[in-house]
Amino acid sequence: MTISLFKKRYLHPTGSLIDIGSLVLLLIFLLSLPVAPLIAAENKKDVYEDEEIYLRFVYRSAEQVAAFYEGRGFPKAAIERAVQTCYVTVILKNKSDDLLWFELDNWLFHQKGKTIERYKQAYWNKQWDELKLKQSYRSTFGWTLFPDTRDARPGESVSGNITLPMQTQPFSLTLNFARGEDRKGKTKMVKLNNIYCKDAVQK
Amino acid sequence: MKNIILSSLILLFTANTFVVAETLPKGIIRMDAREAPALVLSDMDGNPFDLSKLKGHWVFVHFWASWCAPCRKEMPTIQATLREYEDSDLKFAIVNTAESEDAVFSFLGSIASELVPLMDTDGLVTERWQPRGLPSTFFVDPEGKLRYQALGGRAWNKGVYKKFLDQFK
Repeated sequence: MTISLFKKRYLHPTGSLIDIGSLVLLLIFLLSLPVAPLIAAENKKDVYEDEEIYLRFVYRSAEQVAAFYEGRGFPKAAIERAVQTCYVTVILKNKSDDLLWFELDNWLFHQKGKTIERYKQAYWNKQWDELKLKQSYRSTFGWTLFPDTRDARPGESVSGNITLPMQTQPFSLTLNFARGEDRKGKTKMVKLNNIYCKDAVQK
Repeated sequence: MKNIILSSLILLFTANTFVVAETLPKGIIRMDAREAPALVLSDMDGNPFDLSKLKGHWVFVHFWASWCAPCRKEMPTIQATLREYEDSDLKFAIVNTAESEDAVFSFLGSIASELVPLMDTDGLVTERWQPRGLPSTFFVDPEGKLRYQALGGRAWNKGVYKKFLDQFK
């Protein structure tokens, strides 16, 4: 069993400067820095990593979700329905030499001892049926969701959105993975805290 | 003499059908050689395509969408590969998943303008193929069976991946 906290990246502010020489040196130093780490720091992506698995969580705002589906031509009513939801994009990489199996039904979202039921494909089918949404949009939406159940091969990355009812408080997630070709290897468990819904959370 | 010719023909046929490396490049997995699902679509110019008519050739079947970030990176390498293998025995089926012609046209215009993809407008053909995600590439053997699947994107026109493709020329 692995119990870990997120490794958060923060951009630390620099202190005050004394003379011009220091300022010039600092300027040269800043110009020599690669841009990517600063961008990553600004995004404050939450990452969990151990020797077997890499997990990154990206929290999507309603604005981002709306812009994405608008860009794909989704009807307004479908976008309005979609943005009522909490979107957490999960990027998973299997760093081990073994198969890792995941079933989202075995990933437990919980808050103060109470389980949060994620929105499954059946929920979305019902929404889209009500709106008589075209098959092409249903298909695109489906591909943007994290797969319900699958194996991740050694070195393989899997990503997609997990959708949940909006939560105003951060919550926890317990992830369970089966190992091996036959899923009979020792189960891997990862517990994470401070998962949240962007915009809705009251910090 | 007859036997020698017959044996040579069998050998030639077997070699053409199953010429594949024992060790696969990273991210390419062997499949169970089940029958490839049907793939009957039209391309963006309205030309019909039917995978079953390509029996006797290896076929590179690729699924993608403009919203998928790795697709954007991979697509120019597919265009370069297509150009290089144009007159070879390796055939290509580049399938867009569930997008409109406008979306595909404006996306490809900026990164791979020579590609004319097959349009799976409702996404149902892609669902039948069950790729592990987008982008995803399948290799269908000359008998119409699924032999390999490439997970995610890569530069097909370089290094080990180009060598892998060279086997199917």
